[in-house]
Amino acid sequence: MNSIILRLIVQRLGVMLLTLVIVSFTVFAAAQMLPGDVAEILLGQAATPEAVAALREAMGLDQPALVRYVQWLAGMTQGDFGLSYVTRESIADLIAGRLQNTLRLAAITTLFSVPLALSLGILAALYQGTKFDRFVSTITVTVISVPEFMVATIAVLIFAVYLKWLPALSYANEITSLWQMLKTFAMPVITLTFVISAQMIRMSRAAVIDTINTPYCEMALLKGASRKRVVLVHALPNALGPIANAVALSLSYLLGGVIIVETIFNYPGVAKLMVDAVATRDLPLIQSCAMIFCFGYLMLIMLADIISILANPKLRT
Amino acid sequence: MTDKRPTNWAAGDDRMVEDAIRRGATRRDLLHMLMAGGVATLTAGTILGRATAAVAATPVSGGMIKVAGATSSTADTLDPAKASNSTDYSRICSIYNRLTFLDGDGSVQMELADSVLSDDAKTWTVTLKPGVTFHSGKSLTAQDVVYSLMRHLDESVGSKVNSIAAQMESITAEGDSVVKIVLASPNADLPIILALHHFMIVADGTTDFSMPDGTGAFKVEKFEPGVTSIMVKNENYFKDSGPHLDGFEFFGIRDEPARVNALLSGDVHVASALKPQSLRLVESADNVTTVQTAAGNYTNMNMRLDMSPGDKADFVEGMKYLINREQIEKSVMRGLAVVANDQPVPPASKYFNADLKPRAFDPEKAKSLFEKAGVLGQSIPVICSDAASSSVDMATVIQQAGSTIGMQLDVQRVPADGYWSNYWLKAPIHFGNINPRPTPDILFSLLYAKTAKWNESQFLNDKFDSMLIEARGLLDEAKRTEIYGEMQAMVSNEAGTAIPAWLSGVDAMSSKVNGLEANPLGGLMGYAFAEHIWLEQ
Amino acid sequence: MTTLTKAIAHKSGYHINLVGLSSAIVILFWAIVALFAPLLTPYPVGEIVDWDYFGPSSSAFWLGTDYLGRDVFSRILMGARFTVGISLAAVTLACFIGVTLGMVAAVIGGMFDQVLSRFLDAFNSIPSKLFGLVVVAAVGSSIPVLILTLTAIYAPGSYRFARALAVNINTMDFVTVARARGEGTVYLIREEILPNILGPVLADFGLRFVFIVLLLSGLSFLGLGVLPPNADWGALVKENISGLPFAAPAVIYPSVAIASLTIAVNMLIDNLPKKIRDRED
Repeated sequence: MNSIILRLIVQRLGVMLLTLVIVSFTVFAAAQMLPGDVAEILLGQAATPEAVAALREAMGLDQPALVRYVQWLAGMTQGDFGLSYVTRESIADLIAGRLQNTLRLAAITTLFSVPLALSLGILAALYQGTKFDRFVSTITVTVISVPEFMVATIAVLIFAVYLKWLPALSYANEITSLWQMLKTFAMPVITLTFVISAQMIRMSRAAVIDTINTPYCEMALLKGASRKRVVLVHALPNALGPIANAVALSLSYLLGGVIIVETIFNYPGVAKLMVDAVATRDLPLIQSCAMIFCFGYLMLIMLADIISILANPKLRT
Repeated sequence: MTDKRPTNWAAGDDRMVEDAIRRGATRRDLLHMLMAGGVATLTAGTILGRATAAVAATPVSGGMIKVAGATSSTADTLDPAKASNSTDYSRICSIYNRLTFLDGDGSVQMELADSVLSDDAKTWTVTLKPGVTFHSGKSLTAQDVVYSLMRHLDESVGSKVNSIAAQMESITAEGDSVVKIVLASPNADLPIILALHHFMIVADGTTDFSMPDGTGAFKVEKFEPGVTSIMVKNENYFKDSGPHLDGFEFFGIRDEPARVNALLSGDVHVASALKPQSLRLVESADNVTTVQTAAGNYTNMNMRLDMSPGDKADFVEGMKYLINREQIEKSVMRGLAVVANDQPVPPASKYFNADLKPRAFDPEKAKSLFEKAGVLGQSIPVICSDAASSSVDMATVIQQAGSTIGMQLDVQRVPADGYWSNYWLKAPIHFGNINPRPTPDILFSLLYAKTAKWNESQFLNDKFDSMLIEARGLLDEAKRTEIYGEMQAMVSNEAGTAIPAWLSGVDAMSSKVNGLEANPLGGLMGYAFAEHIWLEQ
Repeated sequence: MTTLTKAIAHKSGYHINLVGLSSAIVILFWAIVALFAPLLTPYPVGEIVDWDYFGPSSSAFWLGTDYLGRDVFSRILMGARFTVGISLAAVTLACFIGVTLGMVAAVIGGMFDQVLSRFLDAFNSIPSKLFGLVVVAAVGSSIPVLILTLTAIYAPGSYRFARALAVNINTMDFVTVARARGEGTVYLIREEILPNILGPVLADFGLRFVFIVLLLSGLSFLGLGVLPPNADWGALVKENISGLPFAAPAVIYPSVAIASLTIAVNMLIDNLPKKIRDRED
């Protein structure tokens, strides 16, 4: 059993690596296609043709794209992401702090939203067709119908402007206590929970209900098992695959999708960094940010895949 | 919701009331005076309260404040030569000093310089103030000034004011405290040019601007581009008048409603560059005050004269008639604007050509001009972006007017990110946004001269260029005014740049923050607020 | 509630309850509005008709005026074209492509499945708003570009979802039996897989529709999206958001419009006739 799982993980890691290479190539190619010459943008108003040519050479931009791609890929495998075109700082340094912020916000949101969403979804399935189920379904649909920036702005108006309970901005220089940290993160976490929970609730509910309708669960029901028992013992393990997938997809939003939350709460995460990079045509930075998002996403879905395979023995081929 | 500030009440009126208070007027006298001016009692009370507070309070020391600017990205810089937006200006104004600066009335004052003198407007002698030291303890010498100014001439630095600095033919140190500047041709405005933010004085030899040394009121404690900056008080500042604060944090919140909310919730003490539509909310809050800068900034529509359809003079003229300037002033800017006449010298300038009236909104005339140019019936793309403030709204106002006469304008809103490097100056018809500059010479040299890198409409006119150089060296004010007046008429009629209105900026702050006054160079006291403001304890 | 939702029988044999029916009416309403919007608007969308801004509802301006003094009612009617049209086109394309590929990959399996899955994973891993930003920076913004971008963003997710469901079904006995019978891929997909995953796929369609409507509004937050003077509903909310503290109609009604459409779509799917929704075996 253990060796099967081990082999599975190794195999998945290999696949992930392969995907990352595909991604790196796509990302590199896409970044090259952005209009606007980097050297010209960097020099701005002082862009004389000679200065542009000199800068292009100094930055190695005169080499063929394929050579630059291989150099970039080789650098990355050694943990060297290169230098930012704009700030001339090491990209690893630029990203490190931002990534920490992004992960912190993602982790807190996950801790909060995943248990909430899954229990609501499973409970709704358990009590399918009851008032509770209807209530949960209606609320989730209503909640996701409100644009993210509206949720954020309403939250700020209520909790920061009128009640003055929470700060309107989430970037504090010195967080000294747990209480302060909770207060600082409360608003973005509330907003993001609104945004990502709905999908998890709906999908976990649908997956569980779907498995209840399979013959073996119906059989168990016919045999007299309680609905609660059927859901928790028979349906849930089989619904785990789709649920894990839905959770992975929702959580991947927390890496690159949070740009609006980062903007409104002035939270310096990686998404904002990448938007800046697109604006300034800082290609190495764009590529590195994109690679980070892809890596995070692939990790999440790999975990989801492994969970669904472990949950459904028939898939272990 | 009914609390609207009368739009005819200007900063000058505030000053008048303050003067009256200084002279010892009683509250009843003042109310009487305000009522005579047609100001409703309720609002009069507000103005009075504001003025009284401004006079009564004496600066107190101490306190940290947070200031939210309108922009911020990883391209943020502390290098004065590369500073390009209000956030950069606000930061560098606190770290460094200029040789001269412009006060609230727009007149030149000496800062690091003791005097800036010339007999012929060509050879200038700058004498430095004694006893000024950098944060590092090093004394300010003429060599620092030479280095700081010479940087702008070095192409590899990428200075934003390279074209203005280019007129300085030689910059040499004469001893420790005298700098001699020889210009290519006479320019009587050099003391004003030296007040531009880019001409901040940095320490000799500085190439790394991540934690720079300066003579300014504050030292850099932390600087993360695109995130935040923290400045702390310079205890050895050479001016006695400040700074009052222990320090301040400056960061950009690009989303305007978020900026307003951060101010209302007390997360920041100052929020700069508010939209006119936010005033209703901000002014209904009781712990917030606003400062309005005189109209000088403008958002313009540029039709490149070297590209179709701007190469047809009738099209360009037609577009200038198609602009409903009153609607832009009233609806887009909510009265925080003055209707303009397609030339960049603001009404507050002594060189303003008052005879040059703004073109009236005349769609029929525009139509006949478009017919003459043969562009009617074509779909013409107009590029606008949130990057150029209010340009999307102005574009829709013009588009709507066009649709009534069968002129189809295809308004394309493009992302704010990258707008200045990808669309501005490049697209055939696009919007720009120009910060106030103190003299016609700077405005024309930067934006209309043949060699100007920011010649937005590719307006190339030899006569204009020679007039520019002539006026530059004139010490005869009457003659100079006449030439500048004529030049204003030239760009108004011939350049491809339409300037619908001069816009006022509005900064809002917690009522505990005092000492922030309007300045013609821009919002936040011409961005030099840090050393002047203080926090009520 | 249960009496309200009591099934209404139709001649065709399909049963739809009251919630489903009223949802369908709401969707139909917006579809008609979208089609005939230019005939219905009392004022041109771009015209400033009121000197005041964030004006209240009045007989002249039914839903008040926006931040410039334009008629909100007209703007919402025209906005329906973009919100309904773009979102529906994109979600249909995305789900069609995603679900078809997902089922094919699940049935064929092997190398095909591996390569396609990896490729679409790679694609899906790029955050949607940032992807939109890059696309618009590269090729500019127009309605076909918006639809294709939204499709590209949501098709891989739909693929993943459908494939996960189909893989589960694929291991079931009745599929193995059919395969042993010698049925082809098309038959397996159409007769065995699709009917068994239709319920969740439709639920996913509804959610994805909501996401696309919201992503459109998110793109407008970043300055992309429908071009002026028109605006989709999300953009209307965004441009009038500073009216929120005053509860200005200009910000309330577009939000209500978004909510009514997205809720109706999801309610309709949740209450679809059993005959469509559930597999019959």
